[in-house]
Amino acid sequence: MIEIIKPGILLTVQDAGRNGYRHLGVSKAGCLDPIAQKVANKLIGNNENAAVLELSYGLAQIKFHAQTVIALTGADLGAKLDSSPIYHGWNYEINKGQTLTFASSKNGLTAYIAIQGGLCVQPVMGSAATDLTANFGGFKGRSLNAGDKLLINNTQHSEFIKMGAVLLNSRNHIRLHPSIHHKILGDELINQFIDSTYTMSEHSNRMGARLSTDVEGRLAHKHSLKSLAVAPGSIQLPPNGKPIILLNDCQTTGGYPLLGTVIAADIHYFAQIKPSDTISFEYVDLNQSKQALLEQRAYLAKLTYAINNKN
Amino acid sequence: MSKNVSTMKIKPLISIVNNNTVLIDATNNAGNTLQIQKYIWTLADKLKRNFECIDLVPAMNTLTLYFDALIIDDECINAISYICNNTTAGNFTSRKHIIETHYNGEDIDTVAKYHNMSVETLIKVHSNAIYHVLFLGFQPGFAYLHGLCPSIHTPRRSEPRLKVPKGAIAIGATQTGIYPADSPGGWHIIAHTTSSLFDITNDARPCLFEPGDTIQFKPIGLNDKEQL
Repeated sequence: MIEIIKPGILLTVQDAGRNGYRHLGVSKAGCLDPIAQKVANKLIGNNENAAVLELSYGLAQIKFHAQTVIALTGADLGAKLDSSPIYHGWNYEINKGQTLTFASSKNGLTAYIAIQGGLCVQPVMGSAATDLTANFGGFKGRSLNAGDKLLINNTQHSEFIKMGAVLLNSRNHIRLHPSIHHKILGDELINQFIDSTYTMSEHSNRMGARLSTDVEGRLAHKHSLKSLAVAPGSIQLPPNGKPIILLNDCQTTGGYPLLGTVIAADIHYFAQIKPSDTISFEYVDLNQSKQALLEQRAYLAKLTYAINNKN
Repeated sequence: MSKNVSTMKIKPLISIVNNNTVLIDATNNAGNTLQIQKYIWTLADKLKRNFECIDLVPAMNTLTLYFDALIIDDECINAISYICNNTTAGNFTSRKHIIETHYNGEDIDTVAKYHNMSVETLIKVHSNAIYHVLFLGFQPGFAYLHGLCPSIHTPRRSEPRLKVPKGAIAIGATQTGIYPADSPGGWHIIAHTTSSLFDITNDARPCLFEPGDTIQFKPIGLNDKEQL
């Protein structure tokens, strides 16, 4: 069992998210950085989709009431095990009674803590992910609070092997599929959008990364569309000219025109882009996006191979 | 007489959104919203039988297919186009729902007054119609319904409520709907139901409504003083 002493800004139970129910209005939820989640799980021999803790900004404290093994990935949020610093990208043996403490963000935003066996929560519609808007899934359908106690799934204890993984670098230049509303928005607006740089707004959350820019006046518009399906990665342009990149907790339909869609290989980078960080975009074609995804899969495949050969 | 839906040819626009998403857009076709939407529901049923989609999401006169990554190529798009161009609005799976409705909503007097009608007339107009579930969105189980009589279209409240209770039946502009869970909302609450719209413990069928279903509101407890 683990006990939350301090939840920090936002601490939730997540897995890869919920699929198959979007036509009923059910969001994906799940880890903002599923690559980091998978790597953390692989480092401790878990199923790669096992439920993990997702921590935004740090400032959390977690006490372990049983001996276990954990791995940290995602952002370096200044983690310490009791008083000793520990590092993201590595696995650690934890003794009963030890406390894991996070300071604040040094580099990036979102950290993942995988625990051997995975967190034991009742799946809802096939997923352990916390849906913070509809209030189901994860732990009691909400973010974690001080005093919450979470159970860990049983696992066969094997000999501990110290392992680390090279984590993917962060990226603030994001690749996009072209807009399906290019004709409606017009060349001038699309060119203005793609040639400008943006700043991540502090109003961003798990539903969407909100951008601000000097050129929002030139991106403002009066188009209103019939609702169409949207998903994490869709870039909406509300009439105020401030683009929103939809993330995991976004709704399933929306009526704003779309500026494009973040390629599958790049969407996870938004887990680490902090408020006031700069963002820019480029459009790519289907082959380039496919290539980027294959490279990402190759990274995970190599990692899996290396881990399996160490065991 | 209106044109028979089943003979109406619809040619939607098909766009590749990304390596695993295809948008089928019929918004620019002739025909009213409901006629086109019947085509969308029929198409959804047909595509479901032919492709392994992770999600298949109808919205307003559009249908979006989400595949497992990377399967979209020219062959796949050709197959989708073929099905789109050889489908006419016809047989789609749908259910009929009768919703037991207590017309005792907080705003029912305001709405009746706005339209210069009695509460009894408002109830009659609202409960006589058959509504179609166009699609779901906004929150799990929230159905966008078609069929609200124009005589009771009502502008949204000037101040949205922070909490509209689960089961509230409301009117907002040209639409009516039922809130499946407590949520903020700017529509006028005219009634309440105790029917459960969304059950997270039922993996096989969490939602009472599916796109294409029809709904009728059945007034109950009208003679009960407490209810009105």
